[in-house]
This record gives sequence, structure tokens and C-alpha cells, in this order.
Amino acid sequence: MSTAVSTADPLAFETRAVSNRRRFLRQLLRKKLAMLAIAYLAIFYTCGIFAPLIAPHDPYQQNLTPGATRQGPSAEHWLGTDALGRDLASRVIYAARTTVVFTIVVLISGSLVLGLGLGLLAGYRGGWIDTLIMRVGEVLAGLPTLLLMLAITAAFRTRINDVAFWLQDNTFLGNDARTFVKFSIIVFATVPFAWIGTSRIVRSQALAIREETYVLAAEAMGASPWRIISRHILPGVLPLFVVGVSAGMAGTAGAEVTLSFLGLGIDPPTASFGSLIAAGAGPQTFERYPHLLLAPAIPVTLFFFAWNLLGDALVDLLEPRTQALR
Amino acid sequence: MAPGLAGYIVRRLLWAIPVLFAISVIVFYMLRLAPGDPVDSLLGQRYREEEAALIRKKYGYDQPIHIQYVKYIHNLLKGDLGVSTRHQSFTVTEIIIPKIWVSTRLGIIALAVSFFLGISAGIYAAIARGTFLDPLTISFWLAIDAVPIFVAVPFLQWLFAVRLDLIGLSWQGFTSPNIILPILVLALPGTAGIARFVRASVLGVLREDYVRTARAKGLPERIVIIRHVARNALLPLITIIGLSLPGVAGGSLIVEQLFGIPGIGAESFEAVLAPDFDVILALVLFGSVLFVLANILIDILYAVIDPRIRLGAQRG
Repeated sequence: MSTAVSTADPLAFETRAVSNRRRFLRQLLRKKLAMLAIAYLAIFYTCGIFAPLIAPHDPYQQNLTPGATRQGPSAEHWLGTDALGRDLASRVIYAARTTVVFTIVVLISGSLVLGLGLGLLAGYRGGWIDTLIMRVGEVLAGLPTLLLMLAITAAFRTRINDVAFWLQDNTFLGNDARTFVKFSIIVFATVPFAWIGTSRIVRSQALAIREETYVLAAEAMGASPWRIISRHILPGVLPLFVVGVSAGMAGTAGAEVTLSFLGLGIDPPTASFGSLIAAGAGPQTFERYPHLLLAPAIPVTLFFFAWNLLGDALVDLLEPRTQALR
Repeated sequence: MAPGLAGYIVRRLLWAIPVLFAISVIVFYMLRLAPGDPVDSLLGQRYREEEAALIRKKYGYDQPIHIQYVKYIHNLLKGDLGVSTRHQSFTVTEIIIPKIWVSTRLGIIALAVSFFLGISAGIYAAIARGTFLDPLTISFWLAIDAVPIFVAVPFLQWLFAVRLDLIGLSWQGFTSPNIILPILVLALPGTAGIARFVRASVLGVLREDYVRTARAKGLPERIVIIRHVARNALLPLITIIGLSLPGVAGGSLIVEQLFGIPGIGAESFEAVLAPDFDVILALVLFGSVLFVLANILIDILYAVIDPRIRLGAQRG
């Protein structure tokens, strides 16, 4: 990028944007609950990303000798073992990895590419593109989401074997092929419904900013649409985008956990909070082996709670008066 | 009635037709083109191709998809939703109506509980703004909201049925005390959202001039809150109530599944696994119709309650 172009920017706008961002971060720092939530999420995501380094045992290593299965917590197995004698702490850490990868994939494909991209396009270009995108969103929003997600996953799971074997033979995926296919199915089932809320927020914000004087000035100076969107509209849209995404994050992660609980998402031997909880659910099981339910349930509940708190704090900071975002 | 309301309703209903048409096409093609096939579940893993062909012929699955679709729509317009492949010899209507009725009754009770809790918590948090009680109240409900239903259910079942031995676990209809747990589990998660909404709304109203006037008159704070604040702050809740209604009639898949409730949520899960094409389609269309109707209902209620709102202008 040439320096001549960047000095042409109104300096006042640049400094205002920076100071706004600082003020925003300061206010966020002052919220103790939000800070706790961020700290927990940082730990959770670190555990997920570095699962192989952190997990104390191999999460797939079974031990079926008498007494080794369904052990309570001990020094050797911090959270006990499951019905097949696998170390539960390691499985919970690997489940965190499933959640982390899933939320990041949906964040990038659903929220960033589709939500932000389509929202900016609709808001900036207007006209028939806007109408088309918003009408499609309206149709998708009117559908019973969980039912359709189930229908999609159930339908495509019947062909898991064929696709997985093909991938195993023809790509580098090897033994991870099955997990990859299951993962793709739930992403495919979730993403169509994950962008609508975000793109609505982005669109309405972009519509408002498009009419600002500094955008008109930039257009008059002959700036390209790409430059106007990236330099002038995006910075104004970003805060609300972040709010929308963090408010919806618990729901996104929850979709994977729910599908896995129902046996239609990521299933054993790959660890997922949904399948781990399913293995410990049931009042009789809980009476005898409470750790089977509590070990996965507590970390994942705190994960949802942290996103809820963070979303709530951000909504409060950015829109103190208006209604909570749906 | 507000002027122009009838015309507005007609316009919205007319717009719903292409939306529902698009949904029916997408879902119909998705179900037929996706790899899942009812024949697999009807005949098991191994079957002779002639048997499968016979079944496909019986249900018309052997014909080109667009012909199947036209036939489906033709029957739909006559009020025939098709037949179930999972429940042999039952029509879709016979299967879903009683189940929707169970889910709806259950859902409305849960919704009432949820709104009672949420409104109380929201007003309380708003009044307590500036003290630690405000974030505490909201955080409490956000924490409840964070507990996945399938964690809450086994835990509560263990606590109330195994430990305390107060109630049974089986579904015995609406008169049995066993209904308490499903209602709690259905009602609690939604409370946080309502509480936050009410809190924001109440905070907005508290700044209004008429509230200051009411206080200046020397009215007791209790009266100010109930008569002047709550009444105005709760109006926007119509949106949330309206948007919750489709979900109420759709039932809760997981709660019904875990408690063995013969509702539409549990049925939809089974239908998806089968797959039972006509039942899935009927449920998707039913859900979408409710969504469209709920949105129209919200707009109408707003117009009736608040004459300042003129319909037709604010939506594109």
C-alpha cells in the first residue's frame, strides 16, 4: 500500500477510532465477571488446542481389568475413569479440543465469511442483492432449526462409511478420516443457520454508516468499494459484530454438544462433551458413579456460562439502552 | 382496530406463500436427495432389491422427484399430509395432532413459569442497578441457562426421584406430580433471556418523564414500579412471547425424549432417524407456518396496543 493513500485519510477519524477502542477495552477490564469469563475461556481454548501436550493419559487407551473401569477420582486418574477404563480427565481435555475446533470452524465459515461478508455486502450494496440475502435469511430463520440439523446429520450419516473409507485410501487423513467426515457433517448442518443473526446486525450497522459524511467523502474522492468497506465501514461494524458473535457462541458450541449427545454428532471413540455426558446421564448411573456425569458436565457448563457472561457484558457496554440481542 | 390493519394482514399472508413454497421445495428435495432412505429402516440392513422396489413403488419414491413434489403439494392443498412409513397405516395428521396437543399444553405451562420468573428477576435487577445484586441476579440466571438440559435432567431426576424419593420418573399425564420436573427443565433455561430483556426495558422506562412525575407526586415506590414502570416496560415482551409460541408447539426434543413424554418433539426425533419423509416435511412446514403466523400476530398486537405504530411502513 502506498503512503500517499494512507495520509489521505482524515486524521481525526483515525484517532477517534483508536481512542474509542481503548475506552472500550478499559470499560471491559473494569467488569470483573467478564474478566473471569475471559480467563476461563482462555484456559479452555488453551487446553483444547494443546490437548495432546496437556492430557495426562492417552484418551483412547482402554483398561478392562477388574477394578480399572469407572474408578472414582484418584491421584493417578484426576477425574476417574469411564466404563472402558479410559482416563476421564484426558477425555474431557480432548472433548474441549472437539468444541474448540468446532467453534473456530463455525466462527470462520459461518460468522466471519457468511455473517460478516453477506451482512456487509447487503448493507453496502443494497438493492436486489440486499433483498435477496435478507429474504434467504428470513426463510432460513423461519425453519425449525434443530429438526433440520437432525434431519441433515441423520441423512448423511448413513453414508459415513463409504466416504470415510474413500478418504482413508485417497488422502493423508488416514485413521482420522471418520472423525473428519462426522465433523464435516455437523459443520454442514450448523453453518446454514449460524450466519443469519450476525449478518442482520452487520447489515443494519453498515446501512447506517454508509450514509455518514466520511463515507460520502471517500466515495467522492474515488475510493474503491473494497477500500470503503475495509477502511470505513468495517471498523464501525466490528464492535457490534463481536457482540453478536460472543452472544451466539454458547448456542453454536451447544449445537455440537447436543448433536453428539443424541448420537448424531461426534461419537466415541473421539471425545465430545455430548457423548461423555450421554455416558454418565441417567439417575441410577449418577447415584453410583457421579463422576461420569460431573467430570464432563462442569467444564462444559462453565464454558457456556463464560460465553453468556461475556456476551452479556459486551451488550451492556455497547448498547446500554436497547433491548438485548436475540 | 387500527386503520389499514386488514390490508396489512392480507399483504403479510400473501408474502408468506412464496416463503412457505420455497421452504417446502428445499426440504422436500433435501430429504429425497440425501442418502437416507426409509427403505433401510423398514427392511433392515440386508434386503432383496425386489422388496425395496416394491416399497418404493408403494410410496411413490420410484418416480422422478418433481412429480413426487407436485403430487405432495396437490395432496397438501386438499389437507392430506401423506402417510407415515414408520407408523404403518396411520396418516401423518393422525400421528401429529395428538402429540402436538401434548407438547403445546406442556409448553404453555412452562412458558408461563418462565415468564413469571424472568419478569420478577428482570424488574428486581433493574431496581437494584448499581448494587452487586443486579449482576448477581442476572449472572445467576445466565448460569442456570448454561446448564445443558441433558445434564440438568439426570441430576434433577437423581435428586428428586432417587435421593429424596418425592416423585416418580415416568410420564403419567398432566395431573400427576411427575410433571414438575419436565416443566422446571423446560422453563428455567429461557428465564435468563427474559430477565435481561425486562431489565433493559425497565431501565429505559425508569428514565422517562412520567416516572419522574409519578415520583414527584409522592407516590410510594411500589406503586410507581407496578403501575407506571412495569406496565410500560413489559409491552415489548410481546415480541418474545410471540417468538416463543412456535417453539412451544414444536415441543422439546430432548426433554420429551428423556422423560418419555409422548409429544411432538420425541416424535420428530424418531421421524428423523427413520427417516419418515412425510412426517418430517409436515413438522417442518408446521413449524414454519407457526413462525410466520407468530410474526404477524406480534405486529398486530403492537398496532392494537400502541396506536402510534402504523403498520406497513416499517418493514420492507
